[in-house]
Parts: sequence; structure tokens; C-alpha cells
Amino acid sequence: MTARSAVAAPVAALQAARPVLEVSNYSLHYATPAGDVTALEGVSLTVAGGRTLGLVGESGSGKTSLAWAILRYLPANAREGAGRLLLSGEDLRAKSPGELLALRGRRIGMVFQDPGTSLNPTLMLGDQLTEVLVRHRGLTLKDAREKGEALLARTGISRPAEMLRRYPHEASGGEKQRVVIATAFACEPECIIFDEPTTALDVITARQIQDLFARLQEETRVAALYISHDLALVARIAHEVAVIHRGRIVEQGPAARVLAASREEYTKRLIAAVPQPRRRLVRGAPAPEALPLLAAERLTVCYGESGILDRLLGRARQQVTGAHDVDLVLRPGEILGIVGESGSGKSTIARALAGLVPFEGTVRLAERCFGSGAPFDRAYRRAVQIVFQNPDGSLNPRQRVRDILARPLILYGLARRSELDARIGALLESVLLPRDFAGRYPHQLSGGEKQRVAIARAFAAQPRVVLCDEVTSSLDVSVQAQVVRLLVDLQARTGCAVLFISHDINLVRQIAHRIAVMQGGECVDLFDVVEAHAPGRHPYTRRLLDAVTTLPAAAGEPGP
Amino acid sequence: MREVLHHPTGLVGAVLLSVIGLAVVLGPWVAPYDPQMFNSMARLQGPSAAHWLGTDQFGRDILSRLLDGARATILFGLGATLLGVFAGAAIGIVAGVSGRAVDSVIMRVVDGLLAVPDLLFTLLIVTMLGGGLGWAMVAVAVAFTPGMARIARSAVLSVRTREFVQAARARGESFAYVIMREVLPNAIGPLIVEATIRISFAIMLGATLSFLGLGAQPPSTDWGLMIAEARQFMFRNPWMVAAPGVAIALAAMGFNLFGDALRDLFDPRSRR
Repeated sequence: MTARSAVAAPVAALQAARPVLEVSNYSLHYATPAGDVTALEGVSLTVAGGRTLGLVGESGSGKTSLAWAILRYLPANAREGAGRLLLSGEDLRAKSPGELLALRGRRIGMVFQDPGTSLNPTLMLGDQLTEVLVRHRGLTLKDAREKGEALLARTGISRPAEMLRRYPHEASGGEKQRVVIATAFACEPECIIFDEPTTALDVITARQIQDLFARLQEETRVAALYISHDLALVARIAHEVAVIHRGRIVEQGPAARVLAASREEYTKRLIAAVPQPRRRLVRGAPAPEALPLLAAERLTVCYGESGILDRLLGRARQQVTGAHDVDLVLRPGEILGIVGESGSGKSTIARALAGLVPFEGTVRLAERCFGSGAPFDRAYRRAVQIVFQNPDGSLNPRQRVRDILARPLILYGLARRSELDARIGALLESVLLPRDFAGRYPHQLSGGEKQRVAIARAFAAQPRVVLCDEVTSSLDVSVQAQVVRLLVDLQARTGCAVLFISHDINLVRQIAHRIAVMQGGECVDLFDVVEAHAPGRHPYTRRLLDAVTTLPAAAGEPGP
Repeated sequence: MREVLHHPTGLVGAVLLSVIGLAVVLGPWVAPYDPQMFNSMARLQGPSAAHWLGTDQFGRDILSRLLDGARATILFGLGATLLGVFAGAAIGIVAGVSGRAVDSVIMRVVDGLLAVPDLLFTLLIVTMLGGGLGWAMVAVAVAFTPGMARIARSAVLSVRTREFVQAARARGESFAYVIMREVLPNAIGPLIVEATIRISFAIMLGATLSFLGLGAQPPSTDWGLMIAEARQFMFRNPWMVAAPGVAIALAAMGFNLFGDALRDLFDPRSRR
């Protein structure tokens, strides 16, 4: 016994040093009607046993293409160039489809972004987990069930036997991702690829999953390729970091070194774009004794109105409360941040204030009072503008930018016909877009450009309040940084107040004067941004703050 | 339009439709004979150099009658569809934009009407309104209305929740502006596609009504009526049935293929 372990130890040490996953000089193109698009060019990286390589890049950088290439799941129009993909020294490109089938799940595991779509909704979670064990490890169904239970227990699910009998829709996002992770680890593969495994999850759940990943990786000594857009997160969990940009690895090295002393311009820009609470983007706070500009009092929103048929049949629909008795005050010139998990009611507040959902309670704008008896009038709607999360959806695809920006000017009578072109040009310049974009359609713009147009449309009305509902959530981190800077700049120039709703607490701490925390439709905490870590914070606020990853202090600080 | 021509079935559809379009526009002028001219010397003949598609029981030239009848038959299909689309779209849009109560009342009625087969529905209406091409057209339009209403409603519902519509509402735009400028331009695609496919159904329904004696009346050259009249001579001169039959089939196919191509091109999943 002792002799065996004495032999085993050096073998394990040897294994740890040997590269498990090796990509060398790999190139990939996609053939499209518009010509070849390069996805990957000369990519080289290695992951050793027991190590985690974080692959960081923005959308379209080719990071997911690399994952597909390693798993040999390439679309029909993919054209591979030179280069090798090796798993423990074996060439993956030379494998037959049958060999790959036997290899996937057993020797390479995978965990994708959205656990909602990577699980089959018609099969019980247990069946999906045991299938892998029966198929790849030849266990009997009974043994596989026991093993599956043990695996689930290891992922921190409290009652694994019960979880195995549930269907995906009966489990939460975090529980589903735990099942997917348990499945990936089930056959003790040599290598697991994680593609944004926590991006679709709430902050607190995401943190739990990240901790779970770190623990399992430590225990099993698996080689992990961890793909993410989140530099702060990768910095925390990965040993090495590779930064990918337009299909090329621009920088690679130990995580601490890359973050603290990056050599490449692109990496530096990426690090600088990551929201960091320490680097405030706004100066000064509005006078706290100023009269409130916009105030919501006992704001309550219920969703789910009963249909006439339901009422006739006596079926009462379940009423869902989107927001419950929320009191909020926005001072002139203030940026008020609202944070909370999805479903916490933060967007509901914005939609109620924009007059998009009926609400109970009152809303005051300056001296004027609105509520169930007094609906918002045009003056209110002009004064309170909203910018939405998804720039693809918030611009009418059949209208040119010119028409989109002209509409508020015409509607509120802010410009004469003869002045329109000049005003639209000025609006475009105010959001740092060229004047000739006026003739373009939304689909001819990038996501960041579309969001700029949406912001220009909101500011065209010369509003007193701008409601920003997750306006940067669908943008890449470097684009997000630009849009946020623009927004802060416009706010300072026009002096309007901004309600900035986001799930990204770091970002909100960068720009907001005060922060409101929403949970389950209620506003549980409201504090001045400098008091984020003050002792009096609500426990939920503290959990949120603890769950988010921030870049280490040294990273990205402007040099002396 | 160029994309439709690059679509394999779209091209076939477009070619068929342009041939039929030519017949509709030029038919009476290019016809070799007067479509109503009796010729007792040449009755029930097969194809020949003089009569390319043969003659009927009165010696009338079948090709000339087909060319003459194209106008009535195709315009019937277009007219009935257009009426049905407008009526259906109006109802569907109202249902799509009004509240739950109005919507559920309208849609339950629509569901009820959808359960009645088109032909049965059309026959019912024609018997209520009376025969003739005009009423037959109205009947087909009415039969199409519930189906179009359903499609218009779903198109409106999917657009209505998009953020640019929300943005317009938040701006305080009038109801009419939101519908006409924001919702409708983005919901019109599926309607056009459905309408194109329905033209072929309308032509066939019209032909069926004429065949049953409830549509066009003799001596009209409507294709459906031509088949009805030819029935008793089917075995002596099969060309009398085959020629208008094939013409109807080709027209229906043309509209169907063209509509299919349009549907593929409007479907974002098939793009890029």
C-alpha cells in the first residue's frame, strides 16, 4: 500500500507538469458569401494538468470558436488552416467521428454559458447525469444513480437524490449549472472547457459557482480552459491568462503578471475598461438639501391581469408584484444607481417611471403630482426620458437615424423643420458619432453606436431626468466604458438627473452618487456611494458586495 | 426582389407569374380568335396548327378563351385576397393592440370561424349573398379574414413588445402614430408572405365556385367555369378540361412558389 502511493506521487507530479491540452499555431476561417472571415490565426496555448488557463476576449474575438474547434464541433463553412490540437499528445484533428464521440464527455468535458439550454428540458436531471456514466464508464443504471448522487453532493446540492428526480424547469439556474458541472466532472476527464459558465447567472449564484469550480478543479487536478469576457473574474480563478483579440492571442502569461504589468496595449486598454469602484468617473455630489426633482412614493406595480375568459371561468390569475411600496428620491443633477439581481424589480421601477406599466402610488416631478387619477402628460414624458438595455431592439429597424433623432424634436416642438438637419448633426456629434450617420439604418451600426443613437434620442428631448435601464449590459467591456463615459459627460453638461440601473455593482459604484439596492421588489437599502462598506449596511447589500469580483488593487492603476 | 430571383423556387415562381401576368395584360389582344366566336365546322377538336389547344363543343378556340379568361380568374384571386387581407389585418391589429378583454373576445370568434373549412364557409356566404363573380369574391375574402386576422395579430404582438415601440410609448406618442409608424412597418412582412400564398387558394376557390355554378356565369371565360362546362365532353376532348386545369395549377403554383421564397427571405433565421 505504502509502496504504491510512494510510486503514485511522483507520477502525479509528472502528470501535472505535462501539457494536457496543447493548441499550436492553429488557424480557422469561416467561408461566408461575403468572403472569408478569419476567426483564429496562429493561436498557441497549453494547459497543464491541475492548471486553469483563462482565455479572455470581447465578443467576436474568436474565443468560443476555439472551444468549438477543440471539441471538433465546427460548422460546415469552417475552414481549418495549419496547426495542431493535441489532447495529452493525441492529435484531435486526426480522430474519426466515432472516436470523437467516445472522447467527448469522457476525456474532454464542457460547460456552457446557459444551463437552461444545455440541459434537455424533457429529461430528468438524474437521467442526463447518469447517461454519461452509463455510456462512458459502463456503469449499471443503479451504480450510475448512486455515483450521480455522490457527484451532485460534491457540487454542494443539499438533497441530491431529490434533485436527480427533478426536471430542468424545476431547478434554479444555479442548481442547473451545478448539475452541468457535475456531469462534466462525472467521468474524471483530463480537460474541461468552461465557456462563460456564470455569465447567465446572478451575482451571488455566480460567485458560488466560481467557488465550486475552484474547489473541484483543486480536487480533481483537471486541466481547465476557462473562457470569459470578465477580466476581473479570470484574474481571480485562473493561474495563467491568455488575452485574445481578433483571433490572435495578444498576450499570455501568469495571471498576476498579465494584470499587474501587461506588456500589450490592447490588454492595458481592456484592463482600463473594467469597472473599478476605486476609480470614480464623476466628481462632486449634488447638495443633499436640494429639493427632490423626481420622487416616487409607495410605488407598487403588479403584473398579471386576468383575462375575460379566466374571469368568466372563475380562474383568478396569480398576481406577481414587480415592485412593492418603493420610495425613491432623485435630486437635481444626481446619478442614482439601482442594483439588484434579475427579477428584483429594478427595471420595473424604470418602466413605471417611464409610464410603460400601470402603477399604484404617486410620482412627483418638481411640484407636479402624478398617479392613478393623473396620468403622465406630454410635459412629464418630455422631461423624463428612458434608454433601454438592448440597442438592437430600441431603434426601429425601418427608420433611418435621421428620422429616429428627428422624432422627439418634432414631437415636443423643439426645432423648426429648417433647423432639423443641423440639430440632428449636433446631436450625433454630442454622442461622438459622425454627422453622416444620419442617413444610416440601425442594422448598419454596431451595438455601441446604436446605444449612442438611443442616448442621443433621449437627450434630444432636453430632459430633466434620464432613466438608464441596463444600458451597457449587452455591450463589450471596452464599449461599455466608452458609453458610460459619454453618459457621465452628457449628464455633467446638461445637468439632468440620471437613474442608472445595472446589475454590475462595480460599474454603479464608479458613477453613482447614491445607490439603492433592490431585492424581491422592495428597496432594501439606500446609501451614499462612499458608505458602501459602512457598518450599517443591509445584509443583502453586503452579500452582493462580497460576491462581485474586483480587479486586484495593483491592476490597471495609472502609473505614477 | 433580386433576392427572390436568386432563390431557386422563387425564380420558378417568378417566371410562372410573369407568363400569367402577360396573359392578364395582353390576353384579349394576342388571342388568335374571338373567344366567343362559334365555329360549327371545328367542334371538339384536339390540338392542331390552327387551334393550338383545340376547340370546345361550340368550336370556340380554347387558347383564345384561356387568354381571355386569365384576366377574370387572376384578378378574382388578387381582389379576393386583397379584401381578405385588409379586413383580416384590421381585425388582427385591433386585437393585437387592445387590451386582454377585446383581444380574447375577437380571437375566440376568429377561432370559431377558423374551424369552418374555407370552401364550406365560402359556399355558405355565397348562398346568403347570391351568386355571381362579385359576390363570390366577397365570399372568398370573408373566408380568408379570420386566418389573416390571426396572423396579423401574432405579428403585431411580437412587434408590440419590442423596445422601440416601448420607447415611442414612453415618449408620449399617439396611439395612431405607434401603430402606423412603429408597429405596422415591422409587422407587414409576414402579412405580405401569407397574402401571396393565399392568392393561389383564392384562385382555386374561385374556380371551384364557378365550377359549381356559383361564381362566373356562361358565356364567361373564367377558367373554373370552362372546366365545369367541359365536364360532359371530358372523354370526347380531354383538352377542354386539361387546358384550363393546367392553367389554374400553374397560376397557383406560381403564387405558391413565389410566396414560399418571400417567406424564406423574410424569415430572419434563413438569412445570413
